[in-house]
Amino acid sequence: MSEQAAEQYHPGLVGAQQAAAIERPAQARQVKYDPGFPVGWLIAPATAWLLVFLVLPLVGIIVFSFWESTGHGMAPALSGDAYAAYFLNEGFFDAEHRNYLTPSIFIKTLWSTFYYAAFITAMCVLVGYPIAYFLAAQVTAFKWQLALFLLAMVPFWTSYLIRAVAWLPMLGRRGMLNEFLLFLGVIDKPSQLFLYSELGYLTALVQLYVVLAVGPIFFSLAKIDNAIVEAARDMGATSFQIFREITLPLSLPGVAIGSIFVFVMVMGEFATAVVVYGGKATTVGTVILNYYAIANYPFAAVNALMLMVAMMIGVVVILRVVDIRKEL
Amino acid sequence: MTGTRNRKHKGISRRRFVGTSAGLAAAGAIGGFPAIVRAADPLRSVGLAVSIINEIQGQAADDLGFDIRGQALGYGAMIGKMLNQNDQYDVAEGYYNDMDVFIPAKVWQPIDTNRIKDWDKVSNLTKTGKLTEDSQVGQGDAPVHHLYLDENGNRVKGPSRYISMLPAWHNADSMGYNPDETGRKIESWAELFSPDFKGRVALLNVPQIGVMDAAMGMEALGLAKFGDKGNMTKAEIDTLINFLIEKKKEGHFRAFWESFGQSVNLMVSGEVALESMWSPAVTAIKAEGVPCIYASPKEGMRGWHGGLALSAKLSGKALDQAYEYMNWWLDGWAGAFVARQGYYMSVPENVKKHLEPEEWDFWYDGKAAAKELPDPFGTIIVEKGEVRDGGSYEDRFKKIAVWNSLMDENDYLVKRWTEFLSA
Amino acid sequence: MARWTPERRKRALVKTGYSIYYALFLVFIYGPMIAMFVLSFQGKRGGTSLPLRGVSLHWYEQLLSGRGVGDLQGSLLRSLILAVIVMLITALFSTMLAMAFRKRFYGSTVLFYTVMSGLMVPGVLLSLGLATVMRQFGISPNWYTSALGVHVVWTLPFGFLVMMAVFNRFDSRLEEAARDMGADEWTVFKEVTLPLITPGIVAAGLFGFTLSYDEFARTTLLAGQYNTLPLDINASMTQRIRPTLFALGTASTVFSLLMISVFLVIYTLLTRRFR
Repeated sequence: MSEQAAEQYHPGLVGAQQAAAIERPAQARQVKYDPGFPVGWLIAPATAWLLVFLVLPLVGIIVFSFWESTGHGMAPALSGDAYAAYFLNEGFFDAEHRNYLTPSIFIKTLWSTFYYAAFITAMCVLVGYPIAYFLAAQVTAFKWQLALFLLAMVPFWTSYLIRAVAWLPMLGRRGMLNEFLLFLGVIDKPSQLFLYSELGYLTALVQLYVVLAVGPIFFSLAKIDNAIVEAARDMGATSFQIFREITLPLSLPGVAIGSIFVFVMVMGEFATAVVVYGGKATTVGTVILNYYAIANYPFAAVNALMLMVAMMIGVVVILRVVDIRKEL
Repeated sequence: MTGTRNRKHKGISRRRFVGTSAGLAAAGAIGGFPAIVRAADPLRSVGLAVSIINEIQGQAADDLGFDIRGQALGYGAMIGKMLNQNDQYDVAEGYYNDMDVFIPAKVWQPIDTNRIKDWDKVSNLTKTGKLTEDSQVGQGDAPVHHLYLDENGNRVKGPSRYISMLPAWHNADSMGYNPDETGRKIESWAELFSPDFKGRVALLNVPQIGVMDAAMGMEALGLAKFGDKGNMTKAEIDTLINFLIEKKKEGHFRAFWESFGQSVNLMVSGEVALESMWSPAVTAIKAEGVPCIYASPKEGMRGWHGGLALSAKLSGKALDQAYEYMNWWLDGWAGAFVARQGYYMSVPENVKKHLEPEEWDFWYDGKAAAKELPDPFGTIIVEKGEVRDGGSYEDRFKKIAVWNSLMDENDYLVKRWTEFLSA
Repeated sequence: MARWTPERRKRALVKTGYSIYYALFLVFIYGPMIAMFVLSFQGKRGGTSLPLRGVSLHWYEQLLSGRGVGDLQGSLLRSLILAVIVMLITALFSTMLAMAFRKRFYGSTVLFYTVMSGLMVPGVLLSLGLATVMRQFGISPNWYTSALGVHVVWTLPFGFLVMMAVFNRFDSRLEEAARDMGADEWTVFKEVTLPLITPGIVAAGLFGFTLSYDEFARTTLLAGQYNTLPLDINASMTQRIRPTLFALGTASTVFSLLMISVFLVIYTLLTRRFR
């Protein structure tokens, strides 16, 4: 290691490790790591909490999905009505019209929600990765790393609903952006493109959720031992080789976790479409709220469960690509 | 018995907890802390921000001598709470168009009109459906259809001693427009679909209500005739939604708004020239210096009516207090307060006592303002000589075309509306 | 040592490039808030859109006076208290869970996906489900009981995954060395593990705070008789939106920035002393 490299060396944010640590076989570690706090004690409080506040209501939702909607709430029954309304009748199995594979509006909505979520996730990772890399590799002092990271997080401590209201004076026809472009002479009349457009919607979603991707990627990048990078460089590796062979693989768990965060958040979205897209798109979240507001709880429950299934598929796919548990 | 005591105990500790923490923060804050630190069992009321306003419940508390805590919620959250948690509130400040949900759900108790001091003075708008002899009742969920109950809370026809909800604030809605942008007077719902305003129109995104505004427009254009706009058949819903989808694909709509505030912002920021609108929005828009006129369409307006209902769980002293609170609402102070926002009350003669003559002339009689007039918070919002759009109270409510409603085919409507929005 | 080699120049260039990108990124995420800052100083008769009709502190006064709809101060306070409690519990639980997941144990996959479902279950229905169950047992919801419960369900997966990333490729040889020297489990944790994972715990807690402070859907039926801040803001949207909201947003942003500056100063002072 050169003198200069040693000067730059810092142990990384989270636990220093030697280059060799990575190559250690997984089994050997597991056999060795038997001590530690008993697992039972570690998981008991959280498990109990989740049983009461998650599993119990979740069972409730599943039960509700089989109940009957009465028009003013729901009544206990074993009914498949809500599921039939979701899938049948212009749905997957429309026997009457013999168009077996025309998805119902609810399935279409689920698909478009999924599609948007996947797209936004990819965008957030692309936009956020360099930021995380900058913080982890270019900023050397821990305090500045944390400060710059927090700076990126500050907008999220302002209530979401307030920020949403602020879009209008920013992007609207008489908004600051239009005024600015008019002033510069780039456009000669206010553009309607920024707000209530797909462009505006997608931009807003990236703006809202990108920090969720930056966080985990930053963390996994910060853990990379600079010594490995320096060693590779000393051996004549180009920057691109270093990135492809060392940095990227080691940061994949962070990418996976960040992707999960963004993906589930966008899947559950309902407010941004209303505020920034002027309600011109429907998400599963909106559908659930609409049926919740007219007290058709069984149908809202079916939509919620289907949304969960879709999210679960997305998360499992992400975890298949990068098994964050295997890498422990 | 035990249950009651338990609840009480919990209540005390909760208040103490909140009180302490509030006190801690108050030490650092400049202003005082409202509502949450007052002692004694308060009367709990939930509703929309239309009627749950700190000044109103505060004044009621001062006049009545017991605490009243209002909890304002958004529409969806309000319905969910009223329907599922009637032990969490005493008074529900609800709306007659939701009665098809609330009456059969039996979450409220019938109100005994013998205990309503000014029941005789309540206007005929709700009692018979006709404000004056020559009025029309209007299609849809007119309050009169949902007013009368027997003592067990079942619906009955015609006048009876028990009612579902005490009629209070109400209004008639139509469209608002910026005359500078439209370049002409808007006098028909048909204008909502006029190609002249393509890309500059917003529609209300509450399926049950938005669909009626659209139906008015379609009817006015002569494209369809609806049997009952407040209770459409599946075929009628299809006709309407297909038309809307076509329009949406043409790029006719700039946006769909969900909350009052959104509708105001849309007009003030110049996004739209014309939109379906709730009447007090006009005042709010003008207050921000943007010209706005409230259309008085020849086809008639869309009415809605709110009121106060009692939780089924309510009894004893709390029930007495709830009746006092309801009587207070009719007594005029609250009516005058909401009048300055453009709403009307079910006992106009009491409101008159609490308004200055100039205010009464402007808000209720549709006359030109004889002087500058304030909103409820004291900000001047009406210039001298201004006239309220839509005419007098009577003019508006004589010909309500349709009332906000909950259709039998509500599920189907919401489904097709979803298709419309994603088209 | 300070020779201006091509290598150094290249690195400096790269660093400058990244810094510019970071600056642009800040502009991007703060962008929509600029209008909010400006409009919070709106004149008395102005609204939440441009143009400015005078400049005043009127809306900040309104914010403190507690007039109009809702109880912004009370609900802000409740939301802050709630967010801090959620933050602490999230940090604690996610650390414990992630430590447990360093080993393979029976049912770990089930537990993993149970934690993850907290991320996926739609908020309104979780709220409805729990409210219905509680009603069966005659328990009243409260912002500091039931709302706290579902908030933690929502924030825990975030903290948990962050902690998973922290323990990912964690070198346990340091802990083993400590054990070999006769330290008991608690000492090992306190002296070896904890210092290494503290930044992760802070991050997990921050996620908890941020997500809870802004949570709306899950709170709808579970807050009981007092509104949290998002509920209050949602309610105020059914009225005319006033620049008071922008004053609140600006105030909280300025406050956050101040806190970060204070943190920086304290951190600098502390590290200086240790040196």
